[in-house]
Amino acid sequence: MPPLPLQSDWAFVVGNLDLLLVGTGVTVALTAASILLGFLLGFPAGAVEVYGRGPLKRAVETAGVVLRGTPLLVIIILLFFGLSVSSSAFVTATIALGLRSAAYQSQIFRGALQSVDEGQLEAARAVGMGRLQAIRSVVVPQALRRSVPGFQNEFTIVLKDTSIAIVIGLGELLTVGQNLYQGGQSTAALEIFLTVSLIYFVLTFVTNRSLDYVDDHFSIPGGERA
Amino acid sequence: MSDPLLELDDVYKSYGEEQVLSGVSFEMDAGDVDVVIGPSGSGKSTMLRCVNRLTEINGGAIYLNGECVTDADTDVNELRKQVGMVFQDFNLFAHLTALGNVTLGLRKVRGIDKAAAQEQGYEHLEQVGLLDQADSYPAELSGGQKQRVGIARALAMDPKLLLFDEPTSALDPELVGEVVEVMRDLAAEGITMLVVSHEMGFARSAASDIIFLDDGEIVEHGPPEQLFENPQAARTGEFLSRLETTHEGE
Repeated sequence: MPPLPLQSDWAFVVGNLDLLLVGTGVTVALTAASILLGFLLGFPAGAVEVYGRGPLKRAVETAGVVLRGTPLLVIIILLFFGLSVSSSAFVTATIALGLRSAAYQSQIFRGALQSVDEGQLEAARAVGMGRLQAIRSVVVPQALRRSVPGFQNEFTIVLKDTSIAIVIGLGELLTVGQNLYQGGQSTAALEIFLTVSLIYFVLTFVTNRSLDYVDDHFSIPGGERA
Repeated sequence: MSDPLLELDDVYKSYGEEQVLSGVSFEMDAGDVDVVIGPSGSGKSTMLRCVNRLTEINGGAIYLNGECVTDADTDVNELRKQVGMVFQDFNLFAHLTALGNVTLGLRKVRGIDKAAAQEQGYEHLEQVGLLDQADSYPAELSGGQKQRVGIARALAMDPKLLLFDEPTSALDPELVGEVVEVMRDLAAEGITMLVVSHEMGFARSAASDIIFLDDGEIVEHGPPEQLFENPQAARTGEFLSRLETTHEGE
């Protein structure tokens, strides 16, 4: 087979694939860190919204409303240039994406917790379990299963939104692509951004398929699919 | 004279303006099987739920073995370890197998290790004839099987008293028999049961006493022969005749 006659612009992309892969690595790391932070904050926040009361519940609800009502771009600029929470762009981007994701994940878990029939909690209490124990042993395991589809959605949104970190100069995938093009080394704008898009697509596709597997694996036999 | 196992003393319960229980009093001795009957909305289920404090009373007191269990400082979890409950809608833990349902309380409440809990769990599943379904999830079981798992789950905690809240009402008619049969076995074993149910066959053959509750009050309370054959109150007779008509119509 004759070698594929690469146009020079595609050849430029192929030649710089290593840089794009480094950017992809940063994107993946940023996504993982943000989702993790979002889960660690968002899950308890959702539980507080369902089971909490008083000032704590109101504080959590208010924080959620504020975070969901502020554009991510504004949050990240505010944290980096306004509050200078960290000199590290990666840390700042993780906090911005993580907080915003926590606000959304809290709603996924809140809905999932509320969807578990009240009789489940009642039956657990009737056996003599304390409230916390009953929630932990009976309601949470079912709610987690039901939150997989919503979580799947949130995961892909965070993955793609990591590209916003370009505004604070973090060397994630989109930034690397932009630098390649803006460095004046090439006119391959279309080719670069198509490649970047393809990489984002592959990442979201793989993520979705993996979470489909998680969903199947943990589904309750005979029961409704999560 | 020893204390009755369960005593309700002038129990009142209201939801806002709506009075649900208006001075309910009765006693049960260990080994008794009391069946509560009465029209829909008469307060039967509420009364049952007051005994294990899934519902809190507004007045009066409830005693278990002579100890008041409706005081503010009563440990409700300690109370519930002694009083099992079987629900109308089963309320099996949906994410656990039949065995998991029966053993969860043993492990989390009684602190028994997994192997020992499973051993006991198998025994209780055998007691309700479901040993072969130990690994099935609730969604894989028929209604009658679910309710038998529900009974095994309550039995596993070795309660002094078992509460049944309309255990057969959510079942298809052909599945009622298997549940009633298990309940009959338990009654014969001397397990103390307070049952809200309109299964007249069970009430006639297994009950020590029938309690007829109407509009939040006990209208009549006595052995089944008396209540069914020779009701003292006009309301009891009317209710029973309506019940019979409905059942003949089926």
